[in-house]
Amino acid sequence: MSDRSGDRTLRGHLLRQLLLPVAGILAVSSIAAYYLALDPATEAHDASLIDAGLALGERLRTSGGITTLDLPVAAEQVLRTDKYDSVFYVVRDPSGKAIAGDAGVPLPPKSQRPQDSSVLYNAEYRGNKVRAATLLAPCAGQVCTIVVAETTRKRDRLVREILLGSVLPQALLAVLTLIIVWFGVARGLLPLQRLSDEIGKRSARDLSPIGTEHVPEETRPLVGALNQLLLRVEESNRNQQRFLANAAHQLRTPLAGLQAHAELAVKAAPESARSELAQVHAAAVRMARLANQLLALARAEAGGRLEPPATVELKALVEGVADEWVHRAMDRDVDLGFELRSVTVQGDALLLREALSNLVHNALEYGARGGHVTVRTGPQGERGAFVEVEDDGPGIPAAERERVLERFYRAPGTPGTGSGLGLAIVQEIAAAHGATLAIGEGPDGKGCRVTIRFGHG
Amino acid sequence: MRILIVEDDPSLASGLGRILEAEGYAVDLTSRGEQAVEAARQERFDLVILDIGLPGMDGFEALRRLRGAEHRVPVLVLTARDTVNDRVHGLDLGADDYMAKPFAMPELTARVRALIRRSQAQTGPRVTHGPLMLDTVARRAYLSGEPLELAAREWAVLEVLLGRVEKIVSKESIIQAVAGWDEELSPNAIEVYISRLRSKLERAGIKIRTVRGFGYMLEEYKAPVS
Repeated sequence: MSDRSGDRTLRGHLLRQLLLPVAGILAVSSIAAYYLALDPATEAHDASLIDAGLALGERLRTSGGITTLDLPVAAEQVLRTDKYDSVFYVVRDPSGKAIAGDAGVPLPPKSQRPQDSSVLYNAEYRGNKVRAATLLAPCAGQVCTIVVAETTRKRDRLVREILLGSVLPQALLAVLTLIIVWFGVARGLLPLQRLSDEIGKRSARDLSPIGTEHVPEETRPLVGALNQLLLRVEESNRNQQRFLANAAHQLRTPLAGLQAHAELAVKAAPESARSELAQVHAAAVRMARLANQLLALARAEAGGRLEPPATVELKALVEGVADEWVHRAMDRDVDLGFELRSVTVQGDALLLREALSNLVHNALEYGARGGHVTVRTGPQGERGAFVEVEDDGPGIPAAERERVLERFYRAPGTPGTGSGLGLAIVQEIAAAHGATLAIGEGPDGKGCRVTIRFGHG
Repeated sequence: MRILIVEDDPSLASGLGRILEAEGYAVDLTSRGEQAVEAARQERFDLVILDIGLPGMDGFEALRRLRGAEHRVPVLVLTARDTVNDRVHGLDLGADDYMAKPFAMPELTARVRALIRRSQAQTGPRVTHGPLMLDTVARRAYLSGEPLELAAREWAVLEVLLGRVEKIVSKESIIQAVAGWDEELSPNAIEVYISRLRSKLERAGIKIRTVRGFGYMLEEYKAPVS
């Protein structure tokens, strides 16, 4: 997980929120455990060091101004014997001369020299860390110095035991907490994941509310808000659809009238005005087609629709409109043929018809005069379907195939008076059906073949 | 031939009326569904062109009442709305054909001709197509007044095509119409009948177009320019 995404994940947030307090509690409790348990324990060891020093002090003898330590071998043995540690001592007379023991046992640093009783400190001796006690003892009316030191094995052992016994479990608990949070968040968010999967799988046109029965209590407000939004989107879609239906009606009727009168005018007009009126008629026809195309485009991209998706049989769909195409093909002396196999898709029959009509219109318009146009449909793959229109005209150069899908784009050198909307509409309708649009060549690399492939029926 | 146009847009109504008058039909105009139902009840029309989006009683309701009164007059429905429902609804209610606005006038006049011809074929024993005439009762065919010999199967195929002039008739539907219960007809056999029909009819200017991979279409008869 990167730092950036960590900032935004619930898991990262929770972990960061938890990490500091847990670490703090762990540190405080470790320090507390350490000192609460270690101090009394080390104090006991320190006390026995001082006791040993005091005992040595008892053994100082002075005769004739010379101080000696009267320590029988057996007693020294006892002093030096310890289960874990090596014990060292040194006795120095008031002049500082070592009179017994190990001369090298270090004295405390000057600042810590004892004034009257004893001082405890850490030092190093023979390469070992040692704990030492320095005491002042009266000798011959003056003050002798006794140093007792022992290695720190006992103490280290104690520290280890305390750490193992109390700090380690706490540390484990803390780590466990973090691990539980790490996985717990993922587990706890599983319903959310399922929810987002469900939303992700929806088609863009599915605006039905999300079911609330299987979502956990905590996500109900989110789902509720989403459903509210879906409702509003659907309502606005419906309004748009209503507007389009009304606009279609308001536009088409006068256009039909205009076409009718323009045609009458062409026939009735004197020779001098006929070519102008023919232009008026052609413009009316073009305008009618453009209005139809714009309405189809708006309807295809509106997302919602007036009718729920239905099962559409593509062969029947093609056969239903073939009549209209054949007459146009006859006008252009084109051999229009069909290779149709039954297959069904889920969709909007009217939009699919519009898409197909656009493809056939293009093939008849831009294909070769006296050429061939073939409409094919059938199953593809496991559950897919396809419909395609092929002509043997000049085709669309590979470099132009992307651009011809743009609205109002017309490839350079394109004849006729098209609006450049046809393929954009087909593209939009294909997308609305979860289908893909592919532009290629006909057989032998000649002509143009446009294929719509549907995922599943 | 008398046609009733029910359309509330005055410009389109008058345009349609004048185009159809120029084709030789007698045309009556009304803009209200109620008046259309009333007119069809009192007088005889050969075709009603009915707009769906009428003020007051809409086209669907007018159609329902026409059919409810057992009127068999052919109805061509016009609509500016584009939903499949409209189309299905209109055809369910007994419309004979359906056109979405705006439409090319030649297409409209072709459909008007086809609808009137079809309704006459259903009512009368004689079907004509240019110089061709079929007497369906006597089962005799005449071409330019001369008797025309047709085998039974050829007759059946021709009858199917004549019933749907200017429309593609699929090979399957020809087979269904021609084959008896216990017969299996191959698409190749249909091709044979079509080619025999062509050789008999083409000299009189009657054309049967092949629609590759689909079927056949009897083209509208155009008198040869002499």
